[in-house]
Amino acid sequence: MTPLLATDPAAAFGQFVLIGLVSGLLYALIALGYTMVYGIVELINFAHGDLFMLGCMLCLQVCLAVGALSEADAGTGPAVLAIAIMLLVAPVFCAALNLAVDRAVYKPLRTAPKLAPLVSAIGVSFIFMNIGLFWRGPTDISFPKLLLGETNLIEGSGMGFTTKDLMVVLVTIPTMIGLTLFVRYTSLGKAMRATAQNPTAAQLMGINVDRVIAATFAIGGALAGVASVVYGLYFNSVNYQMGFQNGLYAFTAAVLGGIGNIPGAVLGGVVIGLIKALGGAYIGAEWSEALIFGILIVILLFRPNGLLGARTREKV
Amino acid sequence: MPPLLDVRDLEAGYGPINVLHRLSLSVDPGEIVAMIGANGAGKSTTLMTLSGVVRARAGRIVFDGKDLVADRVPAHMIVRLGLAQSPEGRKIFPRLSVLENLQMGAFTRTDPDGVAKDIEKAFTMFPILRERQHQAGGLLSGGQQQMLAIARALMARPKLLLLDEPSLGLAPQIVVQIFDVIRELNRQGVSILLVEQNARMALKVAHRGYVLETGRITFTDKADVLLHDPRIRAAYLGE
Ligand SMILES: Nc1ncnc2c1ncn2[C@@H]1O[C@H](COP(=O)(O)OP(=O)(O)O)[C@@H](O)[C@H]1O
Ligand SMILES: [Mg+2]
Repeated sequence: MTPLLATDPAAAFGQFVLIGLVSGLLYALIALGYTMVYGIVELINFAHGDLFMLGCMLCLQVCLAVGALSEADAGTGPAVLAIAIMLLVAPVFCAALNLAVDRAVYKPLRTAPKLAPLVSAIGVSFIFMNIGLFWRGPTDISFPKLLLGETNLIEGSGMGFTTKDLMVVLVTIPTMIGLTLFVRYTSLGKAMRATAQNPTAAQLMGINVDRVIAATFAIGGALAGVASVVYGLYFNSVNYQMGFQNGLYAFTAAVLGGIGNIPGAVLGGVVIGLIKALGGAYIGAEWSEALIFGILIVILLFRPNGLLGARTREKV
Repeated sequence: MPPLLDVRDLEAGYGPINVLHRLSLSVDPGEIVAMIGANGAGKSTTLMTLSGVVRARAGRIVFDGKDLVADRVPAHMIVRLGLAQSPEGRKIFPRLSVLENLQMGAFTRTDPDGVAKDIEKAFTMFPILRERQHQAGGLLSGGQQQMLAIARALMARPKLLLLDEPSLGLAPQIVVQIFDVIRELNRQGVSILLVEQNARMALKVAHRGYVLETGRITFTDKADVLLHDPRIRAAYLGE
């Protein structure tokens, strides 16, 4: 047991909830890319986690290029510059790469049996992983701590919520709100919703479905890029296999929330973050995976379409 | 007056299989034209090819003076030219509200005031849709979904409306209501190509008709002539 758990159980619980919420928001950001693509083309894009990993590698490259190399640079010009460049370059890079893979690999298989693009996605996942391995090698690489200090913003509560945690919240929440507004109110967003619900009818309405699909891959990729910046700055360690585990959590979050459902992905991400943090604290970190997937199975038994999935059934 | 739609020697299909074989038909401005035929004859394939969802492999589709095949007009541009479809099985957006479904029908339009007026018109024509306007499309009954599908297609202000089996699976009194609407729309100047397995109803409302058998047009004439032709009566009117 951690000391905090022994001395102040309530504060400890609150602390684990906070940890769960913050990491859950990160999973949610990645989960959105799975869920949006699935919603439109019914493809589980297995390469999405690895796309996120390549985003992290690129962010690292940006730090090196700008000369923001260690904690000592935090708050200095190079660090601010590095973060600004990362926030610009990582989403653009991940969006462009996701789009390119769709064009080259998935699009030609659009009318093929569903297994064909799925297996291709697994292939792309391994290719990305190998690129990561080739790019930065097989070991963990430390990612410079570029955020100023670890000031506790809720001092006196017995819990910790640092500037770093706040950074995650300040990036992820507005991104998700922006995405929700985009999908609800813009013409392209409406076209995406219609295409997800019935692609043939969408075409009959005059929607350019190819363009909608391309936009979906681009937006999903951009979200993975945003997640990669936040992840690097938050966890300060990256490696070529990180896409697999984080991708798996995120994918699970998407399924848990109801695959294809945007608020569902956010809810699923937060639920998984909470299970992982609380389970790790009270049951044991070695049980996290078993717990997450155990709960997933139980929830799917009662709600096969996920927590928020397909509440209205399509009539034939 | 030249025909609004003039289809010549159209070929289309799926994968290696051709479904439509040198299909020719036309619709004049102001006409209701019925296409009848057995299940699997290729009626829906014909309409989907006209809408550009299925690709034409040969032949011409001249709509309002423009050859959609030669000019390779993509599906999303065709509705902009004034050709809209209410597809078989309605294909309502199940998780969009009735109102949002209607707005999707006006996706290509850039005149919000005109769209608002046309939504009002749709609600006047189908009062039940006004009542249900905030309900999810997927929660409507079959007949209500059919009305919504027709109203949604009309939101594009089409010159030609393609209707695929609007009576399928509906109770008889709803079918009568739907056919009244078809007549009324035509009176307002919309040309209609109507595909039906309910041949009797279709030929009663139409000016002319075509009979489609395994992808080929085998008969065509004025609707009342077809309605009294003993071969048609035997094959399609259950006599
Ligand atoms: N998406 C499709 N893929 C392959 N074959 C199809 C498809 N849709 C229809 N067909 C085939 O094309 C033929 C014509 O079908 P269809 O146009 O739906 O006929 P109808 O509307 O007259 O009942 C049928 O043999 C049907 O099996
Ligand atoms: Mg049909």
